[in-house]
Amino acid sequence: MIEFDEKERRMVLKLVYYGPALSGKTTNLLQLHDLLTRQGRGELMVLDTSGDRTIYFDLLPFFLTAPSGLKIKVKVYTVPGQVCHDATRKAVLQRADGVVFVADSNRAEAGNNVVSFDNLERNLSLVGLDIDSIPLVIQFNKRDLPAAVPEEEIRTVWDPTGIPVVMASALNGVGVAETFAMLAGLVYDRIDARFALAATHALTRERFIAQLTSLKEEP
Amino acid sequence: MSAETLHFVVGEEKKVRELLLDADVLPLLKGALAAGASCARVTGDDGEELWGACSPAGRGELLRSLPLMLEGEPVAHLELFGAPEMRERLEPLASLLIVALDTVLRNSLKRVLTTEIHTSVVNSSHEELVAMNAELARSEARYRELAENLELRVKERTAELRRAQAHLLQQEKMAAVGQLAAGVAHEINNPLGFITSNLHTLQKYVARFCAMLQFYREHLELEQPRERLVTEAETKWRELKLPHVMADVGDLMAQSLAGAERVSRIVADLKGFSHVDESGESVVDLNQELERTLTLLSHQLAGRAEIVKELQPLPEVKCQGQLPGQIFLNLIQNALTHAGASPRITLSSCFDGERIRISIADNGPGIPAALRGQIFDPFFTTLPVGSGTGMGLAVVWEAVLKLQGTVAVADAPGGGADFIITIPAGRN
Repeated sequence: MIEFDEKERRMVLKLVYYGPALSGKTTNLLQLHDLLTRQGRGELMVLDTSGDRTIYFDLLPFFLTAPSGLKIKVKVYTVPGQVCHDATRKAVLQRADGVVFVADSNRAEAGNNVVSFDNLERNLSLVGLDIDSIPLVIQFNKRDLPAAVPEEEIRTVWDPTGIPVVMASALNGVGVAETFAMLAGLVYDRIDARFALAATHALTRERFIAQLTSLKEEP
Repeated sequence: MSAETLHFVVGEEKKVRELLLDADVLPLLKGALAAGASCARVTGDDGEELWGACSPAGRGELLRSLPLMLEGEPVAHLELFGAPEMRERLEPLASLLIVALDTVLRNSLKRVLTTEIHTSVVNSSHEELVAMNAELARSEARYRELAENLELRVKERTAELRRAQAHLLQQEKMAAVGQLAAGVAHEINNPLGFITSNLHTLQKYVARFCAMLQFYREHLELEQPRERLVTEAETKWRELKLPHVMADVGDLMAQSLAGAERVSRIVADLKGFSHVDESGESVVDLNQELERTLTLLSHQLAGRAEIVKELQPLPEVKCQGQLPGQIFLNLIQNALTHAGASPRITLSSCFDGERIRISIADNGPGIPAALRGQIFDPFFTTLPVGSGTGMGLAVVWEAVLKLQGTVAVADAPGGGADFIITIPAGRN
């Protein structure tokens, strides 16, 4: 939690898209930006790239107001996946309220997924967060690839952990909003009791998710 | 890196006042005045004016109010005032101004975020470097301490080893001396044995001589007829077996004297070998030292080893008297140990005008080339564990060093080892 100001009636949440290089984190944000309604959604800010590779981070902000008047800003970040940018990843992970781990379904990338997930676990603990309690969703991206690992195989590995897994093809906009909605739900569950979102601010789980993930109406 | 060391938290809220400067906003608002607006201002979400530009003529009517968004949240409003007839002209200008402000705001936010993340990364990298540097410094200090201690420990161990080695060398010398003493004792015991036994016999003989003399003395006083005296004396003479005694006594005396002489020669050799009468350095003839050593070892050599001597006259050498004996004793005993059932030891000496060269060669199996670098090391032995101390040749090495010479091993003609000692002559 970056900020909760009772006097100002403001809350700032931070969600982070983590994962190995080229797994599709920026594509997820681009798609969210394109798929979701402009209402309460800020502009996507792509800080700096080097040959289409994220150097610092991308930022997609959302702004919503609870019926009580509580202003909630949700900032969604990507981290740079390349191994050399570890310090940046740690800085972006600070005070995160939820994480989407974007894994590459390509079988050849299985090793990089593991290395990156270990890196996530280590960096979370370095910034004082616990991977077992932080809201976490795993997205297996690039399902459209012929060399994608079969879904049953993935489920066999991940289902026992209890971490929700979403299949996606971010380039085609498939599974992107679902991933985001799933994380938003988990984050709501985590903070509802502490900040009395439903009780004091009349903000239900459904409403919270709907406000963040309302799709554009078909033209 | 820990969470506390970051000075910025990525995602902390920025106020519009932090992102827009007067220099960004005021020229735009003044431009609106120039375009015909009577007043142009930006207000915060609480309605308070943040920036404003008004003509002296007064504000006029609010013609357009547009929200300025920051990260999807309306954080300020752009308000344009003017005469109602200017509405049509000023509304598009308001749209243009809000786009300009939005662009400046987003670029400014981007710059601030870039600066923050860059600073964070630099800080953390720097902290990591500082930590690594401190760790390296600590590690270097530990290493240095270890190295210093190691040097000290090595010195201590070396000194300890030196002491142990000196002690062992001394022990080896003592053991050699002990062995020598046992041999010499055996050598002395032999003549001493028969001298004692001869003296016992002589004691009996003297008693018979005394009995015979006593007989004459008593019978002469009796004044018997001469024939009777002669007959009785003859009887007594035979009774005392004096003819046999007379024949034996000469041999007995000669044998005993020879034995006594042998003992005194051995004692003299031993004294000479040990140089017990000399303090410090003395002048020695190395050939004589060789001979003395052989004499002292005669009990080990006699009837067992063949000794071949090829000694040429040598100049005298000034040195500590015991050193040559130590060298020859250890080398000859080594030859005896390794030369098998019928040892043949060839001792040769020569002088080339500068150096004395002494060779002690045996007919044993010889020393393999691979071992020649090690045989003079203390504790090195080819004998089974417990049989040899590995100190004999180390004693030789030390003694030769004290003589400022060298010792080396070569192949003896026809196999076997040939130890060659070279000593500079005319040492002062």
